[in-house]
Amino acid sequence: MVETVTRKRIEILVDKPLAGVPIRAAADVGIAGYSLVPVQSGSGRHGNWRNDRISGAENKVLFLTIASEDKADALVDALAPKLDSHSLLLTVSDVQVVRGERF
Amino acid sequence: MDIVISTLTSPVILFFILGMLAAFARSDLAIPEAIAKGLSLYLMAAIGLKGGVAVSESGFTPELALAAAAGLALSFVIPYFAYVLLTGFGKLDRVNAGAVSAHYGSVSVVTFVTASEIFTGQSMGPAGYMVAVLALMETPAIISGLMLARCGEKRDDNGNGGGLMHEVLLNASVVLLMGSFFIGLIAGPTGFEPIAPLFLVPFTGVLCFFLLDMGLVAARRLVEAKAMTFRLTTLGILFPIVNGTIGTVLGTMIGLDVGSAAALGVLAASASYIAVPAAMRMALPEADPGLYLSMSLGVTFPFNIIFGIPLFAALAQAIG
Repeated sequence: MVETVTRKRIEILVDKPLAGVPIRAAADVGIAGYSLVPVQSGSGRHGNWRNDRISGAENKVLFLTIASEDKADALVDALAPKLDSHSLLLTVSDVQVVRGERF
Repeated sequence: MDIVISTLTSPVILFFILGMLAAFARSDLAIPEAIAKGLSLYLMAAIGLKGGVAVSESGFTPELALAAAAGLALSFVIPYFAYVLLTGFGKLDRVNAGAVSAHYGSVSVVTFVTASEIFTGQSMGPAGYMVAVLALMETPAIISGLMLARCGEKRDDNGNGGGLMHEVLLNASVVLLMGSFFIGLIAGPTGFEPIAPLFLVPFTGVLCFFLLDMGLVAARRLVEAKAMTFRLTTLGILFPIVNGTIGTVLGTMIGLDVGSAAALGVLAASASYIAVPAAMRMALPEADPGLYLSMSLGVTFPFNIIFGIPLFAALAQAIG
């Protein structure tokens, strides 16, 4: 049986032009690895949205990373003041990972 | 009056209207994204090349310098005029008004390409150097808009300063337009001749197809615009009329030919919906993109394509 450890999975839905904000914040707290996942469309508090292929201003991506609890807390603290102004949707959940020393 | 009728009955404009009607009727008509992107790249390369070749033939004239100066001035100043009306009549806050005003100082490449095609068909094609004026007018408005939005406030670019400048100066339309312009300038008519069949003959047909897509996109944006109010819709129509009139009159006063003066009017009337929205999203994340995209793409763009182009052509003819 492979041993697993608990780590934090952080997902941030962010407008593509603003994707640099969580990337830089993550780097600042020592989280180097991440993935950006394109998302097509959805619905939220301000109604429906979909990828705007003309300007790209409203396109959204999902910033995805896995980190230790300390680093995850530091990232959440760093981004908390920008959640409203940058329209970020941030969730944190527990995940089991193998090779826990990598996160 | 002839130019108004001939514009409204040209296939280019009719395809745009078809796209809008299809979207309003909730048709599932759609142009695949990759094809639409390819069409826009082709159109920008073609218009840049043609402009460069034209300047290589005419040389650098005083009119070119005057048109460039007028374009730069318009792009810098228009946001200030727009800002006053957006905060007053439009009831927008400072940040949203600054973001929207930047769009109206900047320009729409597609509106310019369409106007050039229509004017050329009326034997009043704008001078080749107007392509360079178009590129010059893309960015000054962004600076004005940001200054207005951040008036009296500590600057915070969210660490996006580098990305913003990259977006502003090296966005795809500026790179391709100016790159093609210089290629045309260097190649001249002789160098252009072998590639002319690709860039001249299919141009109008490709523009028809592209405007069909733009009609769909603009109308769908308008239908889904939740942030739009009657006052903002009114401004979305008023801005192009006032700005375009100023641009056309200014172009005539500095001695541009009728087609170039009308083209300067079209540039002043148009609002960006490609380069500026992405730049504003980075620089002013608290501004509502639904507002500025709905106004520039949903209201002003179709107004200019259907009414603005013939209006400024007629004005330039009347005073030129």
